[in-house]
Amino acid sequence: MNESTLFLITFILYILATVFYFAFLFSKKENPAKTGFKFAFAGLLVHTLALIWRTVESGHAPFTNMYESLSFLAWASILAYIVIEWKFKIRKAGPYFMLIVIALMALASSPLMPKEATPLVPALQSYWLWLHVSVTLLGEAFFAFAFITSILYLVADAKEKRGEKTGLSAEKLDSVSYRCIAIGFPLFTLGGIVFGMVWAYNAWGSWWSWDPKETWSLITWFVFALYLHTRIVMGWKGRRSAYIAIIGFLAALFTYFGVNYLLTGLHSYA
Amino acid sequence: MKSLFKSLSSVKLAIVLLIIITAASGLGTLIPQLRSHDEYFARYGQWANLFQRLQLTKLYQSWWFIALLLLFALNIIVCTLDRLSPKLKRSFRPRVSVEEKEIAVLKIKEKLKKHMNLDSARELVKRELSTKHYRVRETQEENKSFLYARKRVLGWFGADIVHLGILIIIAGGIISGIGGFRWNLTFSEGRILEIPRADFKLKLDKFETEYYPNGSVKDWKSTLTVLEDEKPVLTKIVEVNHPLSYKGYVFYQSSYGWDWTSPSVEIWAKKRQNPSFLKKMELKIRERVPLEGEDIEVSMLEFIPDFVIGDQGQITTRSLEPNNPAAFIEGWQGEEKIFSGWIFAKFPDFDRIHSEKETDLTFELKDFKASQVSVIQLSKDPGVNFIWAGCIFLMLGLLFAFYWPTREIRMVMEGIGNKTEIIAGGIASKSKDAFQSEFAKITESIRRSK
Repeated sequence: MNESTLFLITFILYILATVFYFAFLFSKKENPAKTGFKFAFAGLLVHTLALIWRTVESGHAPFTNMYESLSFLAWASILAYIVIEWKFKIRKAGPYFMLIVIALMALASSPLMPKEATPLVPALQSYWLWLHVSVTLLGEAFFAFAFITSILYLVADAKEKRGEKTGLSAEKLDSVSYRCIAIGFPLFTLGGIVFGMVWAYNAWGSWWSWDPKETWSLITWFVFALYLHTRIVMGWKGRRSAYIAIIGFLAALFTYFGVNYLLTGLHSYA
Repeated sequence: MKSLFKSLSSVKLAIVLLIIITAASGLGTLIPQLRSHDEYFARYGQWANLFQRLQLTKLYQSWWFIALLLLFALNIIVCTLDRLSPKLKRSFRPRVSVEEKEIAVLKIKEKLKKHMNLDSARELVKRELSTKHYRVRETQEENKSFLYARKRVLGWFGADIVHLGILIIIAGGIISGIGGFRWNLTFSEGRILEIPRADFKLKLDKFETEYYPNGSVKDWKSTLTVLEDEKPVLTKIVEVNHPLSYKGYVFYQSSYGWDWTSPSVEIWAKKRQNPSFLKKMELKIRERVPLEGEDIEVSMLEFIPDFVIGDQGQITTRSLEPNNPAAFIEGWQGEEKIFSGWIFAKFPDFDRIHSEKETDLTFELKDFKASQVSVIQLSKDPGVNFIWAGCIFLMLGLLFAFYWPTREIRMVMEGIGNKTEIIAGGIASKSKDAFQSEFAKITESIRRSK
């Protein structure tokens, strides 16, 4: 038994969860969904074990390279999913969200991502690494769910306008998108912006440097601020809200992923 | 003036500004910032001039970006104040008495009848409300009693607190931008440096680099001592992520290097015809050292850590890392120079020694030592405490706005002899489901209690 075996078991459990969720979606029976949820939960437990294993083995937080970070984001996404399912009861969005988790796990296991744990460069040796990365990624997991429910909203809304029946009502999807952002936004603000500034001040001597990753996290924050203001003050709902939530998630994705590969800056290590 | 205020108080302006600032910020990540003109010219050709004139190459420091941020701040101030006064009035001097039909239009409402007189019914209702942490206000009118109960009033102000936090952060940014500065101090061990604009000095007692077993850097540690009037007052080991703070100045471990101006090298002298001949010598810059047993003195004129021949044939160093160390040595016999040239640590067989006089000697650069220097970044950031205060307001505001929704319950109680009729209605700014169940619990326990 080692970390990569645990990772593989986790991956298999998530795939099984996804298969059962889709079986539930197409068969319209309740049982496969319950099985799917159990697999996802079992996956979360094994995944937690894998992350602890990694931490003990490497001696540092399990998100210091792309492989670790993707795996952690998948873990955070499942955690977010379980919270959302428990609070908002929106099982039919589960199968689609699981696809994001599968994509993250697949990308993490791809040969493009070096798996070996390397010792930490001096800049990353700080407990702020734990706080900054984990809280930010958890926030982004909620944005990811809002992204899925926003896309499903657009589909459901188009169907309802044609008078067709939908599995999930557009209204419910719109409300869950908002509530996911209401969780994700404070988390992202705390982890990404506030903890990021505190750490930057401790490590680089400057709480803000307009480094591309900083700038893109601010852009992400602005897009969700726009979502909240148009919705709460100007009463936008539905399609326009959904589009902003989708753009917001894409901005978060670019901050997380694109900046590392397309732009250079201080955050060059992760 | 009025129309200016009106446009500054509009949310539309806020949204337009938000979009422009977002787009401009994004643009600044596509164009590399604060590089040289030559680099921009190489990258963008003729466009480079235009980009520089529009300050796109120092976008975040440009006057127009800062003007946008200031306008945005002004917009936030006006918007927030504009919405604040009615909210303040509602929270400090709420209207207690209502028409019954105002309750009738609410979504969450209930009608109750109690077999008790108005006074005891009122006491009962107030007790039930206060067990759920509502603050109750009341007025009376003949046989009618009006109750206004409310809790979590901060929820109304969540967004305002967020805005206040953002304004404090922007203010902190302005203060940092005007009053702050940064400076790099390059030290070798034992050196004392004056701190610009400060009345103390800093001494580097010790500098060490720790490595992981695989050779990558684990940590840089600088032991720094603060000296006031030449007396030590504070000593701290500064590492990355562990800066030293003193009198508003913060000292960070920023970088490291070697002091290549005064290295000491070890050179081996050999003879081509005599393999058993080997003399080792220690050389420092411009120091003539006699070669044992020979009538020759050797000196080193120059040391280069990363030897490279530039475009114009000039000899220079590519970096400050010892990637290709080279030393320029000369050999003297009395006042007569007999050879001179470069020797390389990495290429012992490749020397570029020109001999003025026939000699059998060859030289190898075997080892080199230079003292390591620590680069300490000093920064003074007078706005930083504003930033942390702003962040606290920002987070508290978000929590109040999303998770501390204000709940209001209004009641009209009418006493008819020994009976009291109660009409109750409730409003919550968010999470209406949770409020509805709380409202139902309250009305249920009013109905049941005696």
